[in-house]
Amino acid sequence: MPHSLTAGIVLAFAGSRANIARTILSCAGIVVGVGALIMVVSAGDFGQKFATAYGEANAGLPATLHVTVEGRLTDRSALEEDLVRAGGRDLSIYQNPSKTPMLRSGDQVFSDVGFLGVDPSLGDIRRMHLAEGRWFTEADLESRAPVLVVNRTLADELGDLTQIQVGSDRWLDVRVVGVLESTALDFTWYSAYMLRAPASEELLFGTSVDTEDEEDPYVLTRTSQNSYQVRIDPTDPAAHDPFGEIFAERLATTSWRWGIESVDDIWVYRTDYGDEVDAVITYLSLGLAGIAVITLGTGLLGVLNVGLVTVRERRRELATYRALGASRFTLFVAVVMEAVVVSLVAGLIALFGCWAVVTAAGVVTERLVSLPPGVSLGIPVSAVLIGLGSAALVGLLAGVIPAIRALRASVVAGLRE
Amino acid sequence: MPVDVETPWSGASRPDSAPLLRVEGVTRHFTVSGRRIDVLRDCTFQVERGEIVAVVGQSGSGKSTLLNVLGLLDRPSGGSYVFDGVDTTRLGEGRRSRLRGEGIGFVFQQFHLLERRTALANVGVPLVLGGVPLLRRRARARELLEAMGLGHRLHSRPHQLSGGEQQRVALARALSRDPALILADEPTGALDAASSTMIMEQLLEQARSRDAAVVVVTHDPQVAGRADRVVELVEGRTR
Ligand SMILES: Nc1ncnc2c1ncn2[C@@H]1O[C@H](COP(=O)(O)OP(=O)(O)OP(=O)(O)O)[C@@H](O)[C@H]1O
Ligand SMILES: [Mg+2]
Repeated sequence: MPHSLTAGIVLAFAGSRANIARTILSCAGIVVGVGALIMVVSAGDFGQKFATAYGEANAGLPATLHVTVEGRLTDRSALEEDLVRAGGRDLSIYQNPSKTPMLRSGDQVFSDVGFLGVDPSLGDIRRMHLAEGRWFTEADLESRAPVLVVNRTLADELGDLTQIQVGSDRWLDVRVVGVLESTALDFTWYSAYMLRAPASEELLFGTSVDTEDEEDPYVLTRTSQNSYQVRIDPTDPAAHDPFGEIFAERLATTSWRWGIESVDDIWVYRTDYGDEVDAVITYLSLGLAGIAVITLGTGLLGVLNVGLVTVRERRRELATYRALGASRFTLFVAVVMEAVVVSLVAGLIALFGCWAVVTAAGVVTERLVSLPPGVSLGIPVSAVLIGLGSAALVGLLAGVIPAIRALRASVVAGLRE
Repeated sequence: MPVDVETPWSGASRPDSAPLLRVEGVTRHFTVSGRRIDVLRDCTFQVERGEIVAVVGQSGSGKSTLLNVLGLLDRPSGGSYVFDGVDTTRLGEGRRSRLRGEGIGFVFQQFHLLERRTALANVGVPLVLGGVPLLRRRARARELLEAMGLGHRLHSRPHQLSGGEQQRVALARALSRDPALILADEPTGALDAASSTMIMEQLLEQARSRDAAVVVVTHDPQVAGRADRVVELVEGRTR
């Protein structure tokens, strides 16, 4: 049996090579179908990677909650303790300065910079892609000057990053420790993260600290909106609560500790949108894959048709093989494998076509936009496997019926043709 | 001595006196639109190893039908056919194919070469089926074609060859696995006189040098005259 199998395969390859015209003829439908399938899988994969990278850079890893507490806090550190108690694994303040500061570089002043006060742990909540320098560390908390990480667009405009000042009423020297890669979808043109630290206290919260509160500078701020990014366990029910009520309720049980009376003053929503993007991409992919499968089905009918016609035309040839000692099994393998070879050739043509299109598209997009790091246009291995696998499967399906016909045909009758 | 007909004779233990094949009381009928046509009524004869046998008879007497039975391409309706010590009537399709590939070479009137394939590839097909690896296959096919005087035609396709050349390729193909039996159904029927003579010469010479038996169906008295023995088919019976 093993060498009647290999013999079948050898005959199939030789047959497809000897009948290039037939091979090409039956390819067309499969090329289109497999091409469509490869494109769908590649696009889905790209969309997924892009959305994940974009989401992780801009909205946080799964599952990140945005928590806003409205009102005057009496004890910020109590709130932060309670955020952890409610399930927070990493948390970072996420504070718009009470009064938007400006940046100055030499005699140039930038008044339209989006500032956000954050903690070093934001680096654990979001993926920070640094073009230069580094993200904040605990050591930066000791800095005498406010510490910033700016985006690249802003960095390019600022020029010399060692000579920057920040201020709203008076100018303070700042330390810029890192430059973030701009992404294609940055919302603000110029943006800067400012580390929450004693040195930036006044800029962020706009209060001059009362003498009696000197030990704990964050107590009693004038800010009425207090925002945090909190990463929780993605399997926590609070991660799948669309209105954030579960997490808000957890906080509300002890909100008296930090001076908030009502659960209505606590706003929680999930910022990362991994789940939604997954769902959208899945539905889109399913729809497109459906179309691809239909096209592939049409291609299958083409190969089947050509297979049936050629088996009829080739009765004499197949009978000759039998006379020369081919078993039925060998012939079956040969005919099925021919269809598989044809389909695989079609699949490879499709793959090459897709590769050309995607590469060209990659060159064009690279000129137009900058993709997030780690995300590039290309054909993923999964698309190659799915494309070639489905091509082989279609060949197998399309080959079986002609192969059964080929077996049934009488050798004697075939030789008389 | 009891003979286990299921087991082919191994080379060492096979008595030289055993015939290569033996048909006994073989019949074959066809049913065409409800009517039964008896083509072979009673065929009984044997062929020794290396023997050249000519089968003659009128057109429609069943010569091709008999050859199909001998070649294991067709099953008789009745009677027994023992080939190389094996009772073939009891064999399954797979073993019949194997026996055919290993033991029998065909030469057809219409050559039946594979179109679009070179002479070399055509001669190689039985070797593919026999599981002979590519390089040995090529070497063997080349050697056979050269022996047929076709060394300069290795890469020609059938339509680029004359009838006589095509039949020589077919002959080389029939010989490629060194069969014990060569079946030729009017091998010169489609050829002119000169080619016919040449083909018959080569067929007989090759068969003799390999000790292969030949059963050749022919209308040509000259061909029949060169055989060791002539079997005549009259109304489906051998004489
Ligand atoms: N498959 C079949 N179905 C019905 N009748 C058949 C079949 N095969 C052969 N016959 C009949 O059997 C008879 C013998 O046919 P066969 O081909 O064996 O003759 P032949 O001796 O080879 O003749 P020729 O010399 O013309 O080749 C013919 O009458 C033919 O019509
Ligand atoms: Mg005949």
